[in-house]
Amino acid sequence: MSVTAKDVEHVARLAELAVEPGELPELTAQMDRIVGFVAQLGADRADEADEAVVERYVPGPEATPLREDVVRPADLAFPPAAIAPEFVEGFFVVPKLGPMEES
Amino acid sequence: MASRLEEVGRSGLNATLAWSEAALLAEAARADAMATPGPLHGVPLAVKDNIVTTEQPTTCGSRILEGYRSPYNATVIERLRAAGAMVACKSNLDEFAMGSSTEHSAYGRVQHPLDPERVPGGSSGGSAALVAAGVVPAGLGSETGGSVRQPASFCGIVGVKPTYGRVSRYGLVAFGSSLDCVSVFGRTVADAASVLTVMAGLDSRDATTVDRPALGPVTAPASLQGMTIGLPSEYFPADLDPGVKAGCDTAIARMRDLGARVVKVSLPHSGLAVPTYYVIAPAEAAANLARYDGARYGPRFEQDRASRADRGGDLRALYRTTRGKGFGPEVRRRILVGTYVLSAGYYDAYYGRAQAARARIGSDFTRAFGSGIDLLFTPTTPTPAFKAGEKTGDPVAMYLADIFVCPASLAGLPAMSIPVGRTEGLPVGGQLIAAPFEEAKMLATAALLERQLEPEAEVR
Amino acid sequence: MSWETVIGLEVHVQLATRSKMFCACSTGFGAPPNTNVCPVCLGLPGALPVPNREAVRLAVRAAHALGGRVAERSIFARKNYFYPDLPKGYQISQYDAPLSIGGGIGVDTPDRGTVEVSIERLHVEEDAGKSLHDRIPGKTAVDLNRAGVPLAEIVSGPDLRSPAEARAYLVAIKQLLIYAGVSECSMEQGSLRVDANISIRRGGDTGFGTKTEIKNLNSFANVERALEAERIRQEGMVDRGERVAQVTLLFNAATGQVRPMRSKEESHDYRYFPDPDLPPLLLSPEWIEQIRGELPELPAAKRARLVSAYGLTGYDAAVLASERPIADYFEAAARAGAPAKSAANWILGEVMTGYNARGGFAVAPADLADLISLVERGTVSLQAAKKVFGEMAASGGAPAEVAERLGLIQVRDEAALEQWAEAVLAAHPGEVARYRAGEAKLLGFLTGQVMKRSQGKADPKGVQAVLQRKLTT
Ligand SMILES: [Mg+2]
Ligand SMILES: [Zn+2]
Repeated sequence: MSVTAKDVEHVARLAELAVEPGELPELTAQMDRIVGFVAQLGADRADEADEAVVERYVPGPEATPLREDVVRPADLAFPPAAIAPEFVEGFFVVPKLGPMEES
Repeated sequence: MASRLEEVGRSGLNATLAWSEAALLAEAARADAMATPGPLHGVPLAVKDNIVTTEQPTTCGSRILEGYRSPYNATVIERLRAAGAMVACKSNLDEFAMGSSTEHSAYGRVQHPLDPERVPGGSSGGSAALVAAGVVPAGLGSETGGSVRQPASFCGIVGVKPTYGRVSRYGLVAFGSSLDCVSVFGRTVADAASVLTVMAGLDSRDATTVDRPALGPVTAPASLQGMTIGLPSEYFPADLDPGVKAGCDTAIARMRDLGARVVKVSLPHSGLAVPTYYVIAPAEAAANLARYDGARYGPRFEQDRASRADRGGDLRALYRTTRGKGFGPEVRRRILVGTYVLSAGYYDAYYGRAQAARARIGSDFTRAFGSGIDLLFTPTTPTPAFKAGEKTGDPVAMYLADIFVCPASLAGLPAMSIPVGRTEGLPVGGQLIAAPFEEAKMLATAALLERQLEPEAEVR
Repeated sequence: MSWETVIGLEVHVQLATRSKMFCACSTGFGAPPNTNVCPVCLGLPGALPVPNREAVRLAVRAAHALGGRVAERSIFARKNYFYPDLPKGYQISQYDAPLSIGGGIGVDTPDRGTVEVSIERLHVEEDAGKSLHDRIPGKTAVDLNRAGVPLAEIVSGPDLRSPAEARAYLVAIKQLLIYAGVSECSMEQGSLRVDANISIRRGGDTGFGTKTEIKNLNSFANVERALEAERIRQEGMVDRGERVAQVTLLFNAATGQVRPMRSKEESHDYRYFPDPDLPPLLLSPEWIEQIRGELPELPAAKRARLVSAYGLTGYDAAVLASERPIADYFEAAARAGAPAKSAANWILGEVMTGYNARGGFAVAPADLADLISLVERGTVSLQAAKKVFGEMAASGGAPAEVAERLGLIQVRDEAALEQWAEAVLAAHPGEVARYRAGEAKLLGFLTGQVMKRSQGKADPKGVQAVLQRKLTT
């Protein structure tokens, strides 16, 4: 398993993270090191064979609790406008998406 | 309190982020106004800056939340205040709790209270350093993979991680949601236990909390007669630091002296813990940190290069620049790794296998506790506090600093570190791990053991 | 070349709860922007979701209505993508362990009769907020009031064969879910939304062509229009020897055209994984069955029963069963003694006209039954009864009383009828002579004259009897 610069660029796009071209070689090397390290889990095949297939391991309660359907106003110390970088006429405001994505 | 915080601020420890005299006064007034003084009346606490409070900013040690103020308080803050405790300050941490040295904070690294060249451990290094330096008697940290036990060990204090689900995560900024636990530092077992007791309990706002009887006050037993302590062989490798080994041997001898039966056990899948952790935690983190995009809160970052040609237009540029610049290198690495292991074609090979490995690690513990072991005892860390910069070049070397604390996190078990002595002037911690919801047994044992140890004495 | 169209629909319906899926904010429509929000649905650092029991109950009910197999254990999963109205950067949905699998719904299609359309799955998820691209010049405005509203996503099999069938399917789904009390299914208020998948294949083929997905469909008519446009586009491409590419398309209602939004290569890799904030959703078999027991009679069963129990035609039964209140109205009128066929005729006519105009019933079903009985007994004519109905709808009152007040009670008094009849016979000696000479159809003319003279009040049957007696003696 080795991680290429292309892989890094792909996941950076999925994660919406800018990666400057200058950072790419080092980041690729580090990613390769980490992914190579965690890939040892795949080398554990012999062990898997003699154990029953295990379900996803979830600590905490067996089942989710369910809330009653009751409306309660949010108890906010200050309104959304106070935390938003741009807030106009009650709306959060962000730059435009490309026309391709607007719906 | 204010003068001590001022003093520690000047010391260069760099353990505090936000605090103010006004907020301290308000906290004290609130505690004093209570009709009946609570169990933590007037106790000042350092609060790791990934636990939200309305009075101070909550930055998570990140540029991406610089100046962010939460409009609500974490459940643990509400409960501690109701018991009379005061938020003394927000404390420094590895950015978004990702790290083992508190070197990865956007607001500078935290120094070890005994040696400025060394790290206090992490990611809850700020709270650990403040408790160790005597600024506060106790502090809140958070654990995802050992972020309280490991710094407690490095700093020579007590660090307790409860069972997953024992303490509400509502208001703890999520890193790895299936692992995250609000955890506590104290100078003594009793101090840590009293804070934990107040915080614990079912919370209707956190679907992963568990309804269990409250933790009672911790009283040290007269002896450890009838207790069986397991020593997992995987935690005592041949190349274990000799000082750490000597410290643990001392503690084991004391436990024997106190009447405990000490037996060797095996947790065969322990070696899988760190790689398993570094799949699951980044995967969850990649999703948990997607909300930091500059759209609704937090600062926005301007792009310096023209990447506006990106299809998707200006908004995508805002996302990419804000996230690219707002997150530090370690957080970016983990987001990328987490995205990678969940992406199409890789899910089964990484995430699927990590889930299976996690289940095996959990069943190792279940088997051990099912065989009559009351508690497991191990070193908390393979070495004492390392030097700043020593492991920042190799992320995997840094990850391995958590090799002994990670497994209990993956299994959701209660675990704690107590100081067992010093080696070459640096503290050594011993770890106790208990079966789910057996905090009381673990804390009582630790409270007794603590009396028999000399944490500030050189071991061997 | 003859092409067959293959369509599958993903329908999102808002579950009719008071509070959101994972927080206690109101789901109310029309609140000022960003006022029904809290740390959870704003996606603030540290906030956590807790599921709404009522949303789960309604989703299970929808699953039962569609004949799905409800899972005792289902898993919430995170669907990861970035969009300004998705506050957490992921949507809490369900992926490989949905709430319900399988089921189907009978759809009356224009060309193939009643077709059983299969349902692949039904899962619960939270809605996103709203992005407004023209609210603030050059910017996108975001309202998160809708963020976190509970939805059921219903995915049909690729069983629809034309845009018209797609529309018929939507009509059936909407009718069913409104019946079951699961959702209001209002496209205007965004409580029903549709994404459509369409491909074409050679007639007779069993495999599938490359499908495209159309989003942003805001009315049933536009679903049909968009699919029609896309069907034509795909057929044109294949006829020209081009290959259909897997793309996501947006429908522009103004131009009637579809345009690409993103292609397969750029299509999202959603990186689904189980949401660690939410333990498994475990439903007891008892609760699942209890919810099944709460289901009202559904449209198909109701139609069948209206035919068998009341002897109605399939058409009348279908119209009456189209909405639960109408069927209930019919049955109430029948219980109050109205003959089924007359009640159905009245409801399909006068009653529905009023119901559609004002969105409710102005005349109680028992009053309609009384009115029908006045007609049956000959107390008022059918014509007059319609006037009485209009007056009852406008000002209320019992039918007999209103008929009396309007002077529409039919006169059957022999003496009065004879008086009018004699006057008419005297005024039309020619017709009387021709009738007597064998021109029997003139009885109708003479009856009409009597009715006219009585200003419509005479009972036509009585008039005929009196005239016949007088003309034959
Ligand atoms: Mg969906
Ligand atoms: Zn909310």
